[in-house]
Amino acid sequence: MSTVLARQNRLKIVSLLSPAYIWLTVAIFLPLSAMLYFSFLSDVPFGDAEWHYTSENYQAFFQTSTYATLLWKSIKLGLTVTVISVLVGFPCAYVLAKAIKGKSREALFLLVILPFWSNSLVRIFCWAIVLRGNGVLELGLNAILPFEVDVNLMFSTPAIVIGLVHSYLPYVILTSYLALQAIDDNLIDAARSMGANKLTILWRVILPLSLPGLLAGAVLIFVPVVGSFMEPRILGGRVGTYFGTVIEDQFVAVFNWPLGAALSFILLAVVLVILATASPALRRAQT
Amino acid sequence: MKNTYLVWAGKVWLGLILFFLYAPIIVMAFMSFNASQYYQLPFDFSLKWYEKLGQNTEILNAATRSILIALATTVIATILGTAASLALFRFEFRGKRFLQVMLFPPIAIPWLITGTAMLIFFYGVGLGRGTPSVLIGHVALALPYVIVVVSARLATFDPTLEEAARSMGADSWTVTRRVTLPWIASGIIAGALFAFAVSFDQFVVSYFLSEPGDSTLPVLIYTSIRKGFTPEINAISTIIIVISMAVMLFAARFSNFGGER
Amino acid sequence: MNKRILLATTVALTTTGAAVLADEIRVLNWQGYGTDEDWAISAFTEATGHTVVHEYFNSEQEMLTKLRTNPGAYDVVLINAAFTPQAQAEGLIGPVDSSMVANFSDVPENLAANPDLNAGGALHGMPWTWGLTSFAVNTNEFNEMPTSIEVFWDTAHEGKVSIRDDALEAVQFAAIATGQDINDILDLDAIEAKLAELMPQIKTYWGSENDWNQFMAAGDLDVATFWSGSASRSMASGLPVQFIVPDEGAIGWLDGLSIPTSSTKKEAAHAFINWMIDPEFYVKWAESGAPASANAKAAAALPDDAFNKRVLGDPAVVARVQFQRPVSDENRERYLELWQGLKAAQ
Repeated sequence: MSTVLARQNRLKIVSLLSPAYIWLTVAIFLPLSAMLYFSFLSDVPFGDAEWHYTSENYQAFFQTSTYATLLWKSIKLGLTVTVISVLVGFPCAYVLAKAIKGKSREALFLLVILPFWSNSLVRIFCWAIVLRGNGVLELGLNAILPFEVDVNLMFSTPAIVIGLVHSYLPYVILTSYLALQAIDDNLIDAARSMGANKLTILWRVILPLSLPGLLAGAVLIFVPVVGSFMEPRILGGRVGTYFGTVIEDQFVAVFNWPLGAALSFILLAVVLVILATASPALRRAQT
Repeated sequence: MKNTYLVWAGKVWLGLILFFLYAPIIVMAFMSFNASQYYQLPFDFSLKWYEKLGQNTEILNAATRSILIALATTVIATILGTAASLALFRFEFRGKRFLQVMLFPPIAIPWLITGTAMLIFFYGVGLGRGTPSVLIGHVALALPYVIVVVSARLATFDPTLEEAARSMGADSWTVTRRVTLPWIASGIIAGALFAFAVSFDQFVVSYFLSEPGDSTLPVLIYTSIRKGFTPEINAISTIIIVISMAVMLFAARFSNFGGER
Repeated sequence: MNKRILLATTVALTTTGAAVLADEIRVLNWQGYGTDEDWAISAFTEATGHTVVHEYFNSEQEMLTKLRTNPGAYDVVLINAAFTPQAQAEGLIGPVDSSMVANFSDVPENLAANPDLNAGGALHGMPWTWGLTSFAVNTNEFNEMPTSIEVFWDTAHEGKVSIRDDALEAVQFAAIATGQDINDILDLDAIEAKLAELMPQIKTYWGSENDWNQFMAAGDLDVATFWSGSASRSMASGLPVQFIVPDEGAIGWLDGLSIPTSSTKKEAAHAFINWMIDPEFYVKWAESGAPASANAKAAAALPDDAFNKRVLGDPAVVARVQFQRPVSDENRERYLELWQGLKAAQ
């Protein structure tokens, strides 16, 4: 490639990327760097507080089993919610992309995302009304079923999972839909005419081609769920303590930002390691 | 025969999922017509929360402000995010992987930490509080979502199409406008919808950075849970959902973004 | 009505000069905690010309953060007496000039001289309201009201119990149950054991008054810790609950109104504080549920059947109350660690 072309490309790259990344740097990366700095201090440097550099905040993670237990619990929650959302959402996206045509598809596409436009806190409280004993779910089931059932899912892990799947399902539906819709129907017909059965087509044609969308959706679900604390707290009650909860406590209950910041960077590091470990395996699956 | 059966089953599945997605929204709407302040059942029809809402200028102002900020955020974040996605898709360059990874911290780090960090930083650099700061923060939080969603769509794009157009003498802007953008239109729209949702439901930045008295709807909701939010909140949420549904279905009727294939 | 005119004149007099130049003051408080009552603010504006804008916080730590990072943004701030010394030591709040607050003369000596509000040797927080953290029961579930805190550990109520998700409150609650001084806990192990025993009884933790009311309304709970002011509001709204101050005692707290050092509208701020501790404001506020007033005249002006007079006006009850003192950061973190450990084990 000639140097002129290379320079032209570089100019294009910079002009396309820099607005977004400069914006992100100013509003997020620099503030977070300040937090990263705080996580190595003994106290927040406000006013005349005494402070020195230390790694104690990171050591604290290993000193009690509380943090590790909760982090593992959060990761399990993230995986559960992600897997359920993918299993539920992918077929849904497939139907939307391949079985429905025309205007109604566009309308349905919009309908999937619309629940997102309501306040998340209000949504969670509504789930509480549905799931609790003598709540909407129990009343509804008893109205339909011929026998009495006693449904009280509130304050349990299933309630947390239901609430979180609800909050994040649209991500995987929409990203999978965007990828599936791009697959040429002729390709599927060609495979079929060559005698491939449905499972083979799904496994060898559809899944590999839609994997980028599926993965984007899965990541957009897994990453925030691991740090969640609001949904678990409201829907989980006594069992709703997760890693996000202890981070929040450091900011809200005690004024220990350094520890809270250290815990959130540990969370971030673990999440990135998980994504990095998963990505080669997934990339192999893609080819 | 078997095929139609599968299609039918698929549509039922889609219907069930839509029902699941709308279940709490329906409950929310129902409870806005229920007289009990504590969302007690059995249901007792009343319009009193809508009447109260009509007089509650605080909620109405906050809702208007939220919608305006969300619209501005959507426009800015979608344009910047789409541009960045195009660059990440088209070009190979050093540090690309790093830039992609850097999209995750804003999503992974709990809002409280990001919000507190923004508060200290904006205070430190003298940017202060007010609507500009709020907008800067919202756009930043929405950007990663736009980039991830648009990139997911771009990944299905065949770059040889661009090359073909270019070999036929089209300049780079024409290629983008006539070939690439139409292909990723549905991705851009999905990204924009996410950006709107992120901003509209975002209270971290608004909470720490808006001027006192200038709060947005999520801030109002969040701060009122201590004393208890009344079904007025359900009423305003119901109104907003109904209006957005009408606008969206209207848009779907007259557009062609999802169906060019 | 005469009273109103008289009041307006007093305020106008105490704020001479300021009335000519109307200010917009900014108040930092919990949402729905008295100062933001619409009728009170509009009456204040009418009487003094000053307008009032509110901003809210959701935890004491957040309130301190806002004060630290927004100098000049606030003119009046609500601070719990247990935090006043810290705010004073950090230079966040300045002294309140009691001579500019006419109603101060009706604040009883024991509150006016509170050592925490008088941090740094001068009055830094105007005593405003006080109340108890104890518990309330669902009256449908009890024939006879419990008199002991041990009801929380009664297996008859297993899975129907709640306490607030707050390390300090949980530890102090257990301190009362184990007969310890809440401000000087000597046996933390006993507290951990007592709380560990409580955990299986708990259905959920509550976080806000809103949670609490919804859980009670839905019949999820038989007995739960609660704040006296909130309990009076819940009762006023018709929930079947009763507030109990057990034989073992209860936690007391005192809230004061302070003026940030960086405020530039101190005249108007003092006028607002005076308005807020006025009996007329308080009696009307108490109708919809309020904590107890620090103003003796205001407390006396309540009707005899009012919750705050009936329960908190009883000397036998007051004798059982242990008032919260400031907690060192060290202890706060120890308590949090204990509480998180217990929660994580669930």
